[in-house]
Amino acid sequence: MGYRSSVDIYTEWDIVAARQLGRNEAKKTGFGTVDQARITTAISELARNIYLYAGKGKIEIERFSENGLYGITIIASDEGPGIPDIRKVMEDGFSTSGGLGAGMPGVKRLMDEFKVHTESGVGTNITITKWLR
Amino acid sequence: MNLQVELLEENSVQRFKIVGEIDAFTAPKLKEKLAAVEKVVGMQAEVDLSEVGYMDSTGLGVFVGFYKAVKANEGHVKIIGVNKRLKRLFEITGLEQVMDIVMEESRDADATV
Amino acid sequence: MPQEVGKQYKELLQQYIDNRNEEDLYFGQQFSRQFIEKKIAPEDVISIHKTALAEVFPDLPEKVMYSFDFLIEMMIHYGLALREHQSLIRKQEEIQMEINVAAKVQDTLLKTKIPDFEGIDIGFITEPAKKMNGDYVYFLNDDNNVASVALADVMGKGIPAALCMSMIKFGMDSLQGENTSPRNVLDIVNRIVEKSVDDSMFISMFYGKYDARDSSFSYASAGHEPALIYRASEGGFTELDAKGLLLGVQPDVDYEERSVMLEVGDFIVMMTDGVTEVRTETGFIDEGLIKSILLEVKEESAQSIADTVYNRLLELQNFHLRDDFTIIIFKKENDLV
Repeated sequence: MGYRSSVDIYTEWDIVAARQLGRNEAKKTGFGTVDQARITTAISELARNIYLYAGKGKIEIERFSENGLYGITIIASDEGPGIPDIRKVMEDGFSTSGGLGAGMPGVKRLMDEFKVHTESGVGTNITITKWLR
Repeated sequence: MNLQVELLEENSVQRFKIVGEIDAFTAPKLKEKLAAVEKVVGMQAEVDLSEVGYMDSTGLGVFVGFYKAVKANEGHVKIIGVNKRLKRLFEITGLEQVMDIVMEESRDADATV
Repeated sequence: MPQEVGKQYKELLQQYIDNRNEEDLYFGQQFSRQFIEKKIAPEDVISIHKTALAEVFPDLPEKVMYSFDFLIEMMIHYGLALREHQSLIRKQEEIQMEINVAAKVQDTLLKTKIPDFEGIDIGFITEPAKKMNGDYVYFLNDDNNVASVALADVMGKGIPAALCMSMIKFGMDSLQGENTSPRNVLDIVNRIVEKSVDDSMFISMFYGKYDARDSSFSYASAGHEPALIYRASEGGFTELDAKGLLLGVQPDVDYEERSVMLEVGDFIVMMTDGVTEVRTETGFIDEGLIKSILLEVKEESAQSIADTVYNRLLELQNFHLRDDFTIIIFKKENDLV
């Protein structure tokens, strides 16, 4: 059973709040400085995508333990237009060439697990997890 | 590697003025511009190539595709401002026989020996 | 393992700070390879440095140490860019390997045999600009008197052109037993191509047929570069052009067929625009250039003539082909009667 907290994303300032929450939770989980920075960067990218493409949405963060292993899960959800071509978005070189930052492959690399569910006109839900080693 | 396409409508004639080089890099852009209107039924299109310095076979392919699409919609394609070099290309390929091609009136025509 | 790396890093750092020798920097440089080999990200390197520094100078102000957290933040994207770069390189290698295999398949698929009989000497060279060739040469040898060749140039180059070419091959294969007069061949191939290609795709093709019984060379062209004939008696060239539209533009095309008689020492040169449209730093080559090269080597074998033109033009382009390059020579030899 984990402890879940969340930040609503409406403005660019909310991205900062989501980062702050993520960093605090990552620290509490026991991640070192570098992993804290990775988790925060991943949250930052997801929150920014919500802000830019969906307008509004939510970042939820949960610390958990499973079979003696600790970790952190972040869920980014919105009710935006959805991602039209998910395969393309997951390709290296797609978003970075347009200067959009780390992009989805980057978020995936920063974390251990990455799940995305998107539906046109309904919204997007991205769940990412990192384990403490 | 720069290409500009201007579209002017004059008395129901769609006039495309193309400026630059048409090669494998710029041809997709040209194709996209032409494709936007090629489905118009009975279109009278005029393509001005007087400002085209170089065109390779990819460029020719774009015009062949455009010609086929316009013809299928009962339209007509006229290519104007063709210099000597391009004229030879249209001659060799036999496209001169099926497309309406007008040579450039300026320097190149005068220079013909 | 990272702890071990961290320990070694600390020692090297300590040594450098104490002595500031070039030697220590050299060791550092050698050591840095390990970071890459062990896939240690740039942000981890900063972290290793921070830890080492704290051990070397335990009394450093806290605020200085905080600056490394800021630097780690700065390096996260560099780390991502690096990993993306590595992944793209791997992908590129995979594609390269696929293309190599495809090029081999193409070579096998498009293999053609030069007709070999008394009276006519045939030579050719075809070189792709990239891995895969958009030019195509196909010889037909009906019997011991007739040698035919189809020279096709698919628009564009590389993979799309190569894919399109297998279609031509199967079109040509289907001609077995048909009337192989040049105009008829082009008519048949045009119908196949017209049905199968994308609207903006096209192919030019030259078809020539040499009959040793009367030394005639008949030909037709589907929008292809005219061939050249060298007349030994006149010491000069004439263009062999015939009216005909590119393949694939419309289904019904009337291809003009023409023919010439060859005398001993005469030869025919068939080319694609990769030969005639050679561009050098100073612009397109003069059409007289190809003729003057041909004149220089007119006494040599057909293969040697083709090779010479290729080598000369390749040199002119600084050994870099911009377009697929094909040249075929049909040269009439002494009659052995």
